[in-house]
Amino acid sequence: MNYNELTRRHFEHPLRLGTLAGADCYRGAAGSRSGGTWVQFDVRVARTGGAPRVLEVRFLAFGCPHVIAAAALVAEEGEGGAPEPRLPQSIHSLRERLDAPVEKLGRLFVVEDAWIAALRCAAGPAHTHITQSSC
Amino acid sequence: MSARVVYLDYAATTPVAPQVAARMAECLTREGTFGNPGSASHAYGEAASASVEAARAQVAAAVGARADDVVFTSGATEANNLAIFGTAQYYRDLGRHIVTARTEHKSVLDPCKELERRGWSVTYLAPDADGTLDPARVAAAVRPDTVLVSVMHVNNETGVIQDVGAIAERCARAGHARIHVDAAQSVGKCDVDFAALGVDLMSLSAHKAYGPKGAGALLVSRQRGAHLTPILHGGGQEGSLRSGTVATHQAVGMGAAFELASAMPGVERERIAALGERLWRRLREMGGVLRNGERAARVPHLLNVSFEGVEGESLLAAVQPHLAVSTGSACTSATQEPSYVLRALGRDDRLAESSLRFSLGRFTSEADIDTAGTVVIRAVERLRQIAGT
Repeated sequence: MNYNELTRRHFEHPLRLGTLAGADCYRGAAGSRSGGTWVQFDVRVARTGGAPRVLEVRFLAFGCPHVIAAAALVAEEGEGGAPEPRLPQSIHSLRERLDAPVEKLGRLFVVEDAWIAALRCAAGPAHTHITQSSC
Repeated sequence: MSARVVYLDYAATTPVAPQVAARMAECLTREGTFGNPGSASHAYGEAASASVEAARAQVAAAVGARADDVVFTSGATEANNLAIFGTAQYYRDLGRHIVTARTEHKSVLDPCKELERRGWSVTYLAPDADGTLDPARVAAAVRPDTVLVSVMHVNNETGVIQDVGAIAERCARAGHARIHVDAAQSVGKCDVDFAALGVDLMSLSAHKAYGPKGAGALLVSRQRGAHLTPILHGGGQEGSLRSGTVATHQAVGMGAAFELASAMPGVERERIAALGERLWRRLREMGGVLRNGERAARVPHLLNVSFEGVEGESLLAAVQPHLAVSTGSACTSATQEPSYVLRALGRDDRLAESSLRFSLGRFTSEADIDTAGTVVIRAVERLRQIAGT
């Protein structure tokens, strides 16, 4: 399969890889490794000095190059935004940017689900901070 | 093609050996044997016919067959089709049951499926976890109406060698079924003796053995009285079993390649086997790797490894810029299907997908193997880091 430059770059050199820990960090995951696609986002949310915002994002991903690249892009572009449970851009737009085949949309929704899960965790009434387990 | 990409896909195809290409070229031009080998009325045809017959003898000698057993085809796929459809049709009044294995090549499985659509029944045997078929189990599947047992000699994905001699012997005691062997991957990789194996039909491929693509043969044992109904009509060439002008250059190329293969010194086979082991030792050190068909007899040039904790498409994408290898999945337009061969060996979808087949050949060097080891280890460790596994 051929991958466009954006996909290859984020697949080969994904930034913001890893996990976060702390009282201001929240985790969301979706999919399963046994199912072929799994993504986890950790977000650090700043709540002091004005409106809350996503300060830092880290991710882990098990999946095809498009999934890894999509997760890396979401992590990169999610930083600085409001901690609202929606992607910085639609998954369809992300698919187009990565030139992923439409058959892979289901896998990309796993990326979206993981992001929303992390942000819901951050926005929930009872914040569950990352200690050892995820939300 | 970039010279920096290490070619380790010799089980898919091999480059034509220079001396083979030279022999083929002689058959194409006006100065050479360009005549129609079927034109018995003039010297051009006679010369071409002599070249084809010499090639037939070379092919036969390389695999322990008689020259008149050799039916030239366009490749092993056509040979498999001719063996299966031809046998099924010829013996249709004796029965309409075929025995084969789930790990066969698609050019065996698809004709079998087509015959099922036409009313035949087919038993698809599952191999043991090591990829082998127990000859007793094959024989037990033979019924009074079984007309054909088709098993491959060397599996194209795992390199596992089936004991086709023992299978043929057991099946002969169990019924009257003809035995067909797909030996497309065997020549030059392990010993092949058509007569000694006691089988009726054997498919061969030229391009897996440094010969041209588009050339193959079906061995039909005249001594054992094997018969086929042709599937191509119009000309009666190849003993009426394969109509169509024989492509002299292809037959000559196959003959030359097989002669080279049978002359391959043992030391070269040992060299390739040592390189394969060198790669396996390197990969094994990383941990979380499984060698498919590990406990079975295998050809030395093929290594199939499943990598735990990585996704198949990503693994292939990571190594592709540096290595030409095959993956344990079949690519469709956008997604991948796990290898049915590895699934039949009991690997789950994830492990079947995250498998790589490394097949070595004459031009593989120690440096190639060391590059491959480094590239794969780097890719697997990076993907495991990304996946948190």
